Amino acid sequence: MTKSIHEIRDPIHVFIRLNSQERRVVNSRPFQRLRHIHQLALTYLVYPSATHRRFEHSLGVMELAGRVFDVITSQHNVSNDIRSLIEPIQGELPYWRTVLRMAALCHDLGHLPFSHAAEKELLREGWNHERITRSIIESDEMAAIWSQMIPPLATTHIVKLALGKKEAKDLEFSNWEAILSEIITGDAFGVDRIDYLLRDSHHAGVSYGKFDHYRLIDTLRILPSSRPSDETGSSEPALGVQEGGLHSAEAMLLARYFMFSQVYFHRVRRIYDIHLKDFLKERLDGGSFSTQIEDHLRLTDNEVTAALLEAARRADEPGHLHADRIVNRRHFRLLYERNPDDVKKNPNAGKSVFDALCANFGEEHFRHDRFSQTGGAPDFPVELRNGEIVSSFVKSETLNRIPVVSIDNLFAERSIYEEAQRWFEDNRNDIVRPPEKEN
Amino acid sequence: MDRIKRVAVISNLADRLRKEGSWCGETHVQKAGYFLQALLDVPLGFDFVMYKHGPFSFDLRDELTSLRADGLLELQARTPYGPSYVTTELGKEIQGMFPRTLAEYENKLEFVADRLGRLTVLELEKLATALFVTLDRERHDGTEEGRAGELHRLKKHISELGALEAVRRLDRMVEELPA
Repeated sequence: MTKSIHEIRDPIHVFIRLNSQERRVVNSRPFQRLRHIHQLALTYLVYPSATHRRFEHSLGVMELAGRVFDVITSQHNVSNDIRSLIEPIQGELPYWRTVLRMAALCHDLGHLPFSHAAEKELLREGWNHERITRSIIESDEMAAIWSQMIPPLATTHIVKLALGKKEAKDLEFSNWEAILSEIITGDAFGVDRIDYLLRDSHHAGVSYGKFDHYRLIDTLRILPSSRPSDETGSSEPALGVQEGGLHSAEAMLLARYFMFSQVYFHRVRRIYDIHLKDFLKERLDGGSFSTQIEDHLRLTDNEVTAALLEAARRADEPGHLHADRIVNRRHFRLLYERNPDDVKKNPNAGKSVFDALCANFGEEHFRHDRFSQTGGAPDFPVELRNGEIVSSFVKSETLNRIPVVSIDNLFAERSIYEEAQRWFEDNRNDIVRPPEKEN
Repeated sequence: MDRIKRVAVISNLADRLRKEGSWCGETHVQKAGYFLQALLDVPLGFDFVMYKHGPFSFDLRDELTSLRADGLLELQARTPYGPSYVTTELGKEIQGMFPRTLAEYENKLEFVADRLGRLTVLELEKLATALFVTLDRERHDGTEEGRAGELHRLKKHISELGALEAVRRLDRMVEELPA
């Protein structure tokens, strides 16, 4: 007899189970390409075992999405306030569960080689990896899979749930679709985030990203933002948590803070990303990646790595200098990083330092890296034991105190590093000063 | 408008909302920012879509987070509704650097703070969604009933009567717009 359920071993979720329809997606060309896209770009040059790929992450997101769906739609967990949301689509729940898992599988299909590394500067205006993901989900190749499923899946539904409203602004989301997309892409409890924190910390060999995701998922609920009896608040439904799961939610958001500070924003990892961007800008036609699906599918980390190694060996190859910096570990060194005193004088202190150093020594010797965590404050509804619904900020002192991670770093080429540092220290007070008052 | 001027305008808006008695949570700043940009033509440059509690800008959300990272705004927890945005001393200093920009938009900032500052989240959601619907002429036939029907379709938890009241309230507000 042919197997209808297939198991895949996974270090985070132990077993990931998928049915034969889902396996067709896993076996598709766009999904198999993810075997060759590192989840954390060149982070393995800092954390050597962080060599995991988007492939297993996407499987993990699918697994978690299914679990969350089962919890929040279980009859025991649907409160009277949101029954009107579920009841009209009660008979369609199996359909939506399939759509959600497919969207979870496909949410990263558009990632460029080495994932996020500088995609803004390496794609034409108006493009990002989410838009490529959408093109792939809507492609004839994938549409054939969706249409042959039982029941057939609407491509638009998969797009909405995989991308969320932020990246599919032209599509109108029902409350139900907004909740399901939040399961994957949500700021507070998105399973994309749950999986990458657990998986990245596991592979990087750090403990910061671990938290009790079993407890968190078990306590997730669809909740009205406030009870309909509260005439001041909106009763719009949102993904929230029961009071008993609040500590797990806090642990997850703390894990995110630590992973950003220690791994994702690690200064050496960041400068390698910048060198890689410089390299690609010199190597790619017109300095940017093609957004044609066939071109996208042909290009993975393997091709880029081969080009990097070749360019590092041969001085006549385009991008040689940048490749040499990566392959032979001659990366730029951190010369300046934001600090509270400077920020109090000028929130754009890093840019002022960068401009001053470039003017004095030449732009080619420096790189400026400024980035702030995106997304909103972790404000979500919490259902208290007495049935009341309050904002997470009211109930959690911890959430109030988690800082926003932000970097404002300046790197210098090694040959000029010490001279530039001395010059900067001598001129620091003239460089880092308040912005000029408007006339 | 460049970022640093925009920072001055947003933090000034938050100050004015609080002065009018606003809770000044994210929903308040989002909806007030929407009115400022969409109704009063202040060029903040945010992209608003129909999402949480009505028109919502992911760019503005990220900007508010960035302002917290730079120590220009902070969140203060308050019961019973959740956090409020408060301008820090540094944020006030930045405002002080842009007297001309703030003077240029003063009437508009004052108008939005005065009309929205005392509204609840639910009232803001209704009013901002009414504006969103009204501005998109392809969504309705221009009548009060047509706009209210569309508002109710988009936000099912708002009754048809509540939607109609919101549309009328918006129309009264539009009649009082500053020059």
